[in-house]
Amino acid sequence: MWAYILRRLLYNIPVYLGIIALLMVALRVNDPVWGFLGKNADQEAYEVKKHAMGLDRPFHEQYIGFLGELATFDFERESWTQQGRTVGDLVADSIGPSLAITVPAMALTTLVALVIAILSAYTRGRLPDKFMMVSAVLGMSISFLVYIIFGQYWGAYVLNDRLGTEVFAIQGYESGLANWKHYCLLPVLISTIVAVGYDTRFYRAVMVEETNRDYIVTARAKGAGKGRIMFVHMLKNAMIPIVTRVMITMPFLVMGSLLLEVYFNIPGMGRALYKAISENDFPVTEVLVALFAGVFILTVILTDVIYALVDPRVRLQ
Amino acid sequence: MIACLCVSALLSSLLLGSPGSAHAPAEGARSEKVLHLPMRSAGPGSLDPIMGSTVYDNRACVKVYEQLLQYKYLKRPYELEPLLLAKMPTSDDGLTWHFELLRGVRFQDDPCFEGGKGRELTTDDVFYSFKRFVDPENELKNWWLLKDTIVGLDEYKDEQTARVEAGKAFDYSAPVEGFEKQDDYHFTIRLKEPSYSFLWKLPMFQFSIVPHEAVEHYGKQFARHPVGTGPFLLESWVENKSLTYVKSPTYHGSTFPTEWMPGDEELGIEQAAGKPLPFVDRVEITMFVQENPMWLEFLSGKLDYTQVPAENYLEAFHKRSRRLKKDFKERGIVSHAVPLLDFIFRAFNMEDPIVGGYSAKARKLRQAIALATDLYEFNSTFYNNTNIIYDGMIPPGLDGYPPDGKGPVSWLDHDVERAKALLAEAGYPGGKGLPVLDYYVSRSGNIPEQAELFKRQLSKIGIRLNVRTLNFAQLIETINRKKATLFSFAWSSDYPDGENNLALFYGPNESPGSNHFNYKNAEFDALYEKIKSMGPSPERTALYEKMRDMVMRDTPFIGSMARTRFYVVNPWLRNYKPDETFYNWVKYMDVDESRRP
Repeated sequence: MWAYILRRLLYNIPVYLGIIALLMVALRVNDPVWGFLGKNADQEAYEVKKHAMGLDRPFHEQYIGFLGELATFDFERESWTQQGRTVGDLVADSIGPSLAITVPAMALTTLVALVIAILSAYTRGRLPDKFMMVSAVLGMSISFLVYIIFGQYWGAYVLNDRLGTEVFAIQGYESGLANWKHYCLLPVLISTIVAVGYDTRFYRAVMVEETNRDYIVTARAKGAGKGRIMFVHMLKNAMIPIVTRVMITMPFLVMGSLLLEVYFNIPGMGRALYKAISENDFPVTEVLVALFAGVFILTVILTDVIYALVDPRVRLQ
Repeated sequence: MIACLCVSALLSSLLLGSPGSAHAPAEGARSEKVLHLPMRSAGPGSLDPIMGSTVYDNRACVKVYEQLLQYKYLKRPYELEPLLLAKMPTSDDGLTWHFELLRGVRFQDDPCFEGGKGRELTTDDVFYSFKRFVDPENELKNWWLLKDTIVGLDEYKDEQTARVEAGKAFDYSAPVEGFEKQDDYHFTIRLKEPSYSFLWKLPMFQFSIVPHEAVEHYGKQFARHPVGTGPFLLESWVENKSLTYVKSPTYHGSTFPTEWMPGDEELGIEQAAGKPLPFVDRVEITMFVQENPMWLEFLSGKLDYTQVPAENYLEAFHKRSRRLKKDFKERGIVSHAVPLLDFIFRAFNMEDPIVGGYSAKARKLRQAIALATDLYEFNSTFYNNTNIIYDGMIPPGLDGYPPDGKGPVSWLDHDVERAKALLAEAGYPGGKGLPVLDYYVSRSGNIPEQAELFKRQLSKIGIRLNVRTLNFAQLIETINRKKATLFSFAWSSDYPDGENNLALFYGPNESPGSNHFNYKNAEFDALYEKIKSMGPSPERTALYEKMRDMVMRDTPFIGSMARTRFYVVNPWLRNYKPDETFYNWVKYMDVDESRRP
């Protein structure tokens, strides 16, 4: 297995180098310095900033320098818009709030979606299945933003007003388990409601596909009960697509949820990246995107490894 | 490793809640006066004034730092008054300005000082703070404010830059010819040419007086450890989330103003007049990237005031009367309308081969486009008719603004027939022969939608537009390189003097300077050089008007508009007169905690 992981890592090095080159080119197509300096900048201030950031060096030098920073986990470059803060500081401070939302949301979504999908597949073609699928499609058809705005209004503002006590915060974030329900539960529920429709449909499709496999017929012939077939045989064999779907969301957990963080004022990674892009914070944007690409590649490799763990038919060679 | 990082981050986020950070208010919290204010952004970038540029940097800095001058809180039109000075600066010729510092002003206690006790502010601190403008370490970010202004400062900058490039340290002790110290409290600043606008710059937050000990002690972290002379100390700054200040125990003290404008009595300011500042013990600022949660927080009583988001305007105000709705009034909420010093326009690149130039034909083409543009339709479609539409480049409330917004040279009256006639005279009857014009706009807000309306309006006279939507960085780069034929842009005055807006048409300021129109007119330039040294006077106002109309005849832009910002204030907040020209008004605010829900 380790040889396999090492080989995959080596294969992906050129891919990552290519991504970094593309990223750097994309961020330099339009001069980032002018955009950052704004309306009063003159040529002299422009030259000083460009020199200070090393953007006047040849591209290959910048490329090698940036790769060196990534390889040595040197995230000491200072943010352009948050003076005195390095990219490393920003990541360290933002990742916790993001994970406090995304990890519970992902876990809850997967659990709920799997249960509904299994029940739906179990009652395939009957009323409960149809009802659950119509609900899933309806849920998917409504914009995330609508859920957030309605959630904030009804789930926090109106609810708190009616009850005369603050159940959920309209916005804000405080670390600590004691504060989690107050600040994070509403965004987690909203995120779950939005995502559960997509996941349910997918998992149901996987389950339904599995019901037509020969081993299910064999299990039935051997007298296995419906529940055992569903939850033991079928679920285990459906794990590969399920694991793929779960794993593919992992990098996004780290990057946070942009909309939730922006609307609920959660100082997470999504908001940090949004701020960096909208305020032309060149170093932060460059490093965060490069990190995300790296995490994504590692996740894909990890997914392959997990395939082998959940399905003995898969061999890592 | 990344998985480990994530797990530890999640655990630390969940488990390491700071004591007392729970949402329920602490026992006895009401015993102190606390302001709960919104900041409609992700927050400041730096609390080092010399590195700041945004409104948010400004708002965050001026609670801790002070400048030599400040705006009178309640007076309109704007007037200056001493802040760290004992009296207003004096000058016989506009060239040499004499200053006297207020005695007994101490920097806030901080570990950067010997024994942790703040020392008294002196002349050296003023010179040190002004020299920071030219330190390459500060990236010359605000150098534009002092460039070509003070005798010897440009030369000092060049010498020091050369020193730094040679590997030596920047020498703050080296003299600047225009800085003359008489003693610790008296000094003189000599300017290169007589300039009145120099005084308008002194209240800017970038001119805050900082102690060298703090800059040296904290280095880059000085941006996060402000040490000033102001009424508040920074207690905490949680990135992207909040700023908290507490009352400074060593504040030198000032009092609430005793002069105000008619109508200000409604704020209840008589009770506050002459009383020592600040009134509150803490200031808690929450940052909002989106307006919706800010609005809900205000409605639930957690914010003392808020700007009314455009989407919620009709929830709070009647469309026609623009009066606050009954349910808001019943809750004791009051509203304020604040006209901004905006110059919102659509500009022509005067060096463009098609729309630029100073020939009669080129002028008529631009005038035809201006007449075909219906700014009132923009106002009703996008701004609930709350914007102010006016001729010229000088925004409402300043000398040079035409009475009722209508100047003698005006293109505001939407007139399609006259536009068609002018277009024909320009050699493009019905738009024939005129190529499709590239129109550059930012993709922020509803600007792309506005571009579609503009496109439709011009199509009525046969002019076709190709809308090119860019992000702000791309837009400003295109404009700076003089590549944008026609573009949408805006200018917010740096200080409340029409001279600041007239500078946008001064030839030497051409792109990449602030003259994005690349407008060049020798007569205008000569007049601009003259007005720079003039203080407010009828003679200067007449020159402003002459220059305004001169530009209007050449029509390098279509405009103008200024936004009005609406604020609603909860009944427990006192003495608040919203303003967006200066931001040190928090010290004047008071709060009646007994009325807070």
